[in-house]
Amino acid sequence: MKQALIFGVSGQDGAYLAQLLLEKGYQVAGTSRDAQMASFGSLAALGIREQVAVHSVTLTDFRSVLTVLNTVKPDEIYHLAGQSSVGLSFDQPVETFMSIGVGTLNLLEAVRFLGAPSRFYHASSSDCFGDTGGEPATELTPFAPRSPYAVAKAAAHFEVGNYREAYNLYACNGILFNHESPLRPTRFVTRKIVAAAARIAAGSGETLRLGNIDVARDWGYAPQYVEAMWLMLQRDTPDDFVIATGHTITLRDFVAEAFAALGLDWREHVVVDPELFRPADIAVSRANPAKAERELGWKATMAPADVARAMAVHEQQEILPK
Amino acid sequence: MKAKVALITGITGQDGAYLAEMLLKKGYEVHGIKRRASLFNTQRIDHLYRDPHDTGRKFVLHYGDLSDSTNLIRIIQQVRPDELYNLAAQSHVKVSFESPEYTADVDALGTLRLLEAVRILGLEKHTRFYQASTSELYGQVAETPQTEKTPFYPRSPYAVAKLYAYWITVNYREAYGMYACNGILFNHESPMRGETFVTRKITRAMARIKLGLQDCLYLGNLSALRDWGHAKDYVEMQWLMLQQDAPDDFVIATGRQHSVRDFVKLAAAELGITIRFEGTGADEKGYDAKTGKCLVSVDPRYFRPTEVETLLGDPTKARERLGWQPRITLEEMVAEMVRSDLRDAERDSLCKSQGYAVFDLNE
Repeated sequence: MKQALIFGVSGQDGAYLAQLLLEKGYQVAGTSRDAQMASFGSLAALGIREQVAVHSVTLTDFRSVLTVLNTVKPDEIYHLAGQSSVGLSFDQPVETFMSIGVGTLNLLEAVRFLGAPSRFYHASSSDCFGDTGGEPATELTPFAPRSPYAVAKAAAHFEVGNYREAYNLYACNGILFNHESPLRPTRFVTRKIVAAAARIAAGSGETLRLGNIDVARDWGYAPQYVEAMWLMLQRDTPDDFVIATGHTITLRDFVAEAFAALGLDWREHVVVDPELFRPADIAVSRANPAKAERELGWKATMAPADVARAMAVHEQQEILPK
Repeated sequence: MKAKVALITGITGQDGAYLAEMLLKKGYEVHGIKRRASLFNTQRIDHLYRDPHDTGRKFVLHYGDLSDSTNLIRIIQQVRPDELYNLAAQSHVKVSFESPEYTADVDALGTLRLLEAVRILGLEKHTRFYQASTSELYGQVAETPQTEKTPFYPRSPYAVAKLYAYWITVNYREAYGMYACNGILFNHESPMRGETFVTRKITRAMARIKLGLQDCLYLGNLSALRDWGHAKDYVEMQWLMLQQDAPDDFVIATGRQHSVRDFVKLAAAELGITIRFEGTGADEKGYDAKTGKCLVSVDPRYFRPTEVETLLGDPTKARERLGWQPRITLEEMVAEMVRSDLRDAERDSLCKSQGYAVFDLNE
């Protein structure tokens, strides 16, 4: 039986990935900074909390990383841990780099130190590309990060590439574009939108305040994206892949779709608040996931508008009296 | 008019020393940050030093470290610099493979700590910021020569940390309107270059071999191609970048490229030695054409897990926009470095002959 270890198992992707790997017959272990305190609500929501062995690990502490690798002895390592909010990274830039840049370095060093044949997946990010001027980003598109989060992710991305080339680690970067689901925390804008839409549909009468709704993103469905992570570690040679739907819509359209799915006209419930604008933001994010389809046989089947509607409907069902 | 105030991190290094000297000549009040060490580490700025008891001192050193935010905030609060030059770093590529976390802490986070210190003190519109970026960012080069638009492909923990520093500098410029610039400097050398960097290692060894203080010089990848300029030329550019109307990033290079092997030949020729190279890869050796003695040998210990084979900069933008052009040629620089190292070797030789202890200063 194959053993997988997921760093950052308490998050959205960690939970869906754990579910996928369990279905494939893996033994799954996962880490969180404080496994005693964490509620693992996402694992619980998927009904797999008891099937995942959890360990307390802080990525910036080498001993802690080494200990869990020695205990679990994973065939496959999925590194999904790290400060994951772009907005928060402007307020906590140092912690963001510690967690992402130094954390990834520690993990790579620990794998190298142990000399075990573990395969390594790193959650890189489409934010590394910055603003490509409307050009669809591929694996060869140069990075131009525009937030402390994205700068830290770019550094981590190259750390992974460098350790692959310098020490022959089987290490891959998945450059995932935005991927959403009902498990997204509400501080992420997509979930914030559908949560508000569902409450409004139930009669809350509230107004939803959003930042810049002209931004455009390629929003995919997270449960489909974790499959791509797994596929990357099943190949003969490690490589980096862009994972996206290949379709981009504006946040305005995402809002419109989500509200429409619940029979609402978004314009009656949403105001734009310049206070919520970011110091520097990406206007349009666009992807070309052709390599993933060609070499991994992976393709997203839900486009951004599908994701908006599915999340809104799911949210509404959640708050219905049971 | 009140003198402009500059603060230099890494003032004890090669660039820090040249930059401090130039700024003092321009009438600046120069402050520098040096790390505390149990040994003296201020040799390069000894000639600039002013006793704290002197009045009207224009050159002031502060103890500090890029790994300590509170310390940086306090120094910047006291100094309130018009210009802040971040030259401090763990700057050795090979060492970064041994100490990747330290390199990330100082080179990447250290830069962020400085930018944050400026913001925390509300000096975003007062302090202009120069970040010492590096041609190592290009690593596995995407095109030749490299310009400001060439994508980065860092090939060492040093280069990855510097990549972070580069982009976080750009980000603070875009997000907070800071006057912050990256100088993407290609290799720049001088008699003040650290002894463990390949050019200085070569000139120092050749001088010592000439005087019989050393038998053989061990090097890594002899075929590595680099664009070598003189540090004295390059610090002028650092200053120029902070005197523009708007902040921007610039490649600083000579536009000429040589191999490590060529550098060895040039240095030896300065001492009247002709070196003949034979063999390839790890078996390559350099012989004194006259005596047949082996003077240069490859030691794979100096190979990097991932090598950067070639770097060549295109300084067109710096020339056109800043009117900057390097004045010192490679040949002149090598001659200067060899002369300086020969003098040191002669001093050592003299001391030795009189029975005084001399340090070989091995790595």
